[in-house]
Amino acid sequence: MTTTKSSQHRAEKRTRIAPATFNRRDLVKGAVGAGAMTFALGAQAPMIVRGQSKTNVTFWTTYTDTGLKNLTDIVNAFNKQSTDTNVKIVQIPPAEVTDSSKLITAVRGGTGPDVYLLDRFIVNERAANGLLEDLTDLMKKNGMNPDLTEDYIEFAAREATFDGKPYALPFDTDVRALYYNKAMIKEAGIDPATWDPSKGVLLWDDIKATAAKLNKKDTNGNFTQAGLVPWFDQGLPYTFGFSWGGTFFDKSKCEVTPDNDKIVASGDWIYNYAKDQGVDAFQAFIQAAMKPGAPPQQNPFIQKRMAMWITGDWSIQNLATYAPDIDYGITYLPVPTKGMNSTTWAGGWSVVIPQGAKEPEGAFKFMKYFAGPEGQKMYTKASSHVPTLKSVQADKSLYSGKHVFFIEKLLPTTKNRPPLPVGAKFWDELQTAWQKIYLNKESAKQAYGEAKQNTQTLIQQFCPIT
Amino acid sequence: MNSVTVTSPPGNAPTRHRMTRNEWRNLRNGLLFISPWIIGFLAFLVYPIYYTVRISFTKYTGFGPATWIGLDNYHRMINDPIFWKALWNTVYYTALAVPIGVVVAMGLALCMNQRLPEVPLYRAILFIPSIIPGFALSLIFLILMDPTQGIFNRIITSVGLPGINWFGDPAWVKATFVFMAQFGAGQVALIFLASLKAIPASLHEAAMMDGASAMNRFWNITVPLMTPVILYDLILGLSLGLQIFTQAYIITQGGPIDSSRFYVLYLYDNAFKYGQMGYASALSVVLFVITFVLAALIFWSSNRWVNYDTM
Repeated sequence: MTTTKSSQHRAEKRTRIAPATFNRRDLVKGAVGAGAMTFALGAQAPMIVRGQSKTNVTFWTTYTDTGLKNLTDIVNAFNKQSTDTNVKIVQIPPAEVTDSSKLITAVRGGTGPDVYLLDRFIVNERAANGLLEDLTDLMKKNGMNPDLTEDYIEFAAREATFDGKPYALPFDTDVRALYYNKAMIKEAGIDPATWDPSKGVLLWDDIKATAAKLNKKDTNGNFTQAGLVPWFDQGLPYTFGFSWGGTFFDKSKCEVTPDNDKIVASGDWIYNYAKDQGVDAFQAFIQAAMKPGAPPQQNPFIQKRMAMWITGDWSIQNLATYAPDIDYGITYLPVPTKGMNSTTWAGGWSVVIPQGAKEPEGAFKFMKYFAGPEGQKMYTKASSHVPTLKSVQADKSLYSGKHVFFIEKLLPTTKNRPPLPVGAKFWDELQTAWQKIYLNKESAKQAYGEAKQNTQTLIQQFCPIT
Repeated sequence: MNSVTVTSPPGNAPTRHRMTRNEWRNLRNGLLFISPWIIGFLAFLVYPIYYTVRISFTKYTGFGPATWIGLDNYHRMINDPIFWKALWNTVYYTALAVPIGVVVAMGLALCMNQRLPEVPLYRAILFIPSIIPGFALSLIFLILMDPTQGIFNRIITSVGLPGINWFGDPAWVKATFVFMAQFGAGQVALIFLASLKAIPASLHEAAMMDGASAMNRFWNITVPLMTPVILYDLILGLSLGLQIFTQAYIITQGGPIDSSRFYVLYLYDNAFKYGQMGYASALSVVLFVITFVLAALIFWSSNRWVNYDTM
């Protein structure tokens, strides 16, 4: 019994004492075990986090101000509904639309974005340079037809296609028209009601005569008020060239044609306008507002110092923001001779994937949303631009007020810049020719002839253009 | 006249000096110490120059393969009217901005060299414009030289002269950039000031005792003794002048009518707007040659006008 008691006592003692005899070896074993367990759990934890984390996509844009805000709203809406992709919008410094230096150097350095917002008329040039990814495979993988003309309006689809392959998804488009300040044209003795688009198309010469009545100068000869500076903002070679019925590219000859008679005639009209109303004074008047990225507050129409303004649909939004008290009307772009149909033109932007993008799959998911019905509807409502998706464009509920005029009356007859693999060069050459004309340094024939010659040298290498 | 001729001992052919272990170690350590510079020099200067020269013989967009086209880019340059225009604009700018810059810097240095108690303050005021970055200076001048609201035109018109569209008139734009360039003269003025301080006072004192006027002393003592730093400034100014870019890029983008399309701006346009990296490289090779030739001419002429006697 004693033995039994004694052994039971020892056993009890062992049982009691066992936890106290926690020697160094046990400690090490325990630590290793605990470490292993922690590692195992820890290894699981990141896996769980990884499973929930999203692919990060970088989206670059040069937009500023309200444009940037509108894009950010679309990005936020996308991020909210996406379970696997998170887009970060990055604003890069604004420059001329043809200047892609930041993008090119970043792509070469391996630090380019996954998505880039590119002016659509230079998509062809950037694609020809090898800067952009061909979207064919990504479109097929995401259930889209690589033939963009199926879903998008034709000219936007053509601008986004190079050599038969899609390199961009068209985003918005825009249409040019003539805006006029009703109170100011009354000063010139014009009843604003007679300028209503329902009364027909105005003549450029009548506009010129009205504008002359509204020009006012100070004692130093500077304009304090102007009727119209026709080369300000969207008063561009394309605007006037199309208005006179000209064409800028002859596909059959693979030849740019800014020197055709109609475009030269439009240039002559501008040359004479400047000559009659003041070359230098006009330049001084609009200079501050002409800089790339100039704030809307410097615009003389917004400052109520210019009665007429050639601009696009997006200015409805700008005027609502910066000059809500201006009572203004919008009408067709005038025509040079009675009986001609008014012609305008459209441009617009698109989203592309630059070469070397780290997350092309995630990038395309975002592009599909951004340039798809969701993104285009949001942008149309916020910016008063025009959607490029046929299905969205047909949705009348998106347009109201003055915006309806652009959709119903202008869009059906709009033209567009020829999508060329030397689009940026041609644009710059036309701009230089335009300056020569409105500064009265060269005749339209000579200036446009030089623009043709300088562009034609480069375009030859891409001929024939399909 | 005594002369000493060192000859090898008869029968002993000249032998090459063998480096000792210590000398080898010193050489190795020396090279290791300057290796960061050597690597930087090779990677960021020698290789880019070699690469630029090589692709100047190709048709290359910056992406994809380059196609060898021999001298076509150089041939194209000869027939490119914008190349000649850009070259003319740049030479015009450099030819005016650099010599005027020397005069302005000399004037500033002379002002900074006055024996006045508050001269440190004046030096700071005169130097401050040169530390403003080019882009900031450009934006400031856009406002100051606005044709209707800018202070320059307000001053001009207040005395009855017609206003000038500084950046918007092709006849004025280059001259305006030359004017702007003078706001960076403070940097050179500091070097000139150091040079002025190094001129021995005894020379001026001796000349004064001989009855030399201040103007005589300036032209016959100060200027000749400063010619080495003037040479330095001319070479530096030439190189910087031929590379003018920032101001034109920000303010005029080359306009109006290419009147401020400077050489590097045109090179930039070709590389980053038109995807003509091969042509842009050829333009940069030609710019290098032009700079080299003009610098060599200045060096060659310096034998006639640079005085190293007392410096």
